[in-house]
Amino acid sequence: MRRVHPGWHRHSLYCILPPYVVRTIAQNGSPAQRAAALRTMAVDNTFRALRLTSAVGAQRVPTRRIGGMMAESQRQRFIYNMGGQEGFPGTLARSEGQGATGDVAVDEAYDGLGATYDFFWEVFGRDSLDDGGMPLNAHVHYGMNYNNAFWDGQRMVFGDGDGDIFNRFTIAMDIIGHELSHGMTEDEGPLMYFRQAGALNESISDIFGSLVKQKFLNQTADQADWLIGAGLLADGVQGKALRSMKDPGTAYDDPVLGKDPQPAHMRDFVRTWEDNGGVHINSSIPNRAFYLASLKLGGCAWEKAGRIWYEALRDMRLRPDCGFARFARITSLCASRLYGEGGTEEAAVVDAWGEVGIKVTREKISVARVPTLKVPAVQPSGRPSA
Amino acid sequence: MRIELKREGGIAFLPGLNRPRTFELGDLPPAQAEAITRSVHAASFFQQPSVVGTASKGAADQTRYTLTVEVGGEGAEGGRRHTVQLLEPVQDPHLHALLELLKQAERDLRREAARPHG
Repeated sequence: MRRVHPGWHRHSLYCILPPYVVRTIAQNGSPAQRAAALRTMAVDNTFRALRLTSAVGAQRVPTRRIGGMMAESQRQRFIYNMGGQEGFPGTLARSEGQGATGDVAVDEAYDGLGATYDFFWEVFGRDSLDDGGMPLNAHVHYGMNYNNAFWDGQRMVFGDGDGDIFNRFTIAMDIIGHELSHGMTEDEGPLMYFRQAGALNESISDIFGSLVKQKFLNQTADQADWLIGAGLLADGVQGKALRSMKDPGTAYDDPVLGKDPQPAHMRDFVRTWEDNGGVHINSSIPNRAFYLASLKLGGCAWEKAGRIWYEALRDMRLRPDCGFARFARITSLCASRLYGEGGTEEAAVVDAWGEVGIKVTREKISVARVPTLKVPAVQPSGRPSA
Repeated sequence: MRIELKREGGIAFLPGLNRPRTFELGDLPPAQAEAITRSVHAASFFQQPSVVGTASKGAADQTRYTLTVEVGGEGAEGGRRHTVQLLEPVQDPHLHALLELLKQAERDLRREAARPHG
């Protein structure tokens, strides 16, 4: 039995409807849902059309995109148990609609995939990662004592952790949201997985990963912990998470892990060849800009800041090698398109970027300190002192 | 024989785990050292290309391991040194086994270091 969200029109078939019918259907929701749905449709169509007709944006097949015309959610989750092996696919342990298995990693992955799907569907009217109903596959119990979770381009993979440093990687819902968001970024962007574009790619995964958790917990921006991977570090490790979007650099300080290397401001931007040019290091700068914008905008972070960032990711001006400054400008333009030019939303976004050292103006984009890669290998501890 | 293991990538940049770790097999428990030596040979490590595995499009947060094996002395492989980069998932069963042995040795050393002295 397929699960259908309350508040949305139920229909027995997966169907494609013209926008005016969707508009009628959307009226079955609450006033807030209705407003969100109508805004989704209006915005989606405009921006999508711009994108598909542009030379820069026309990189993918438009025919499979049905986006705002989808009338019903269609979750398709498949959780595979790798049983400590690394050869895919493992054994199918739970598929859509089946009850809990009692295997905590299987069930956490199932619930996390569901929360992620629901987040994108309910907030943005997006039907899965590709906005085309793509099934979500997760593979748990990957490898022995395996200390990682990754997105391989098609599927999410979770290790059990070694118990010394890490617990199982399904423990944090934002990690599940993070991995799935990589799939969405690849579909919408893509953003190269290197240097500033890669750090934006990582930041987008942290942002939507955190929003999945915030929406699941129904938290406002000031209630959320803004941590990535809370609960993931094993007992005895001196730290609270992998990253802090609110206070970058404070997530852990431990004899084995070292100290959280993330900078909170452009002046501390880390120049390195490691980590694909610091994609997991400098992601904290756009992360913190998002956190600051969310606080300024008030309420729940996914309502305004999340929508602005989502539209920025889909904007035709987003190029695969997009840097922070360009992305900042795109977010401010999206804020003014969505909520009015010169409005408080645009000001909040511009101020948030300003606080992390990226000045956004109408005429030009300037950056407090433009980093250049000069040194072949700078350890994260060796930040520029300026 | 000396082996260096370097880890890169993964869901977070953790400075302490990204530092290269060198194993002098002579300093390891003899059974562990022997298992690693056997595994290096079983994997035909010195015949392996410098990169094993391919990064798939759109992948993120994957780990990349760089293994360097250096053989001292006068034996058949004396003075040889070779580096292989492994991209996850490591399909070759012998290289996979070698990597697992090194990770185990790393864990053992870490646990030993965490134990209070005296």
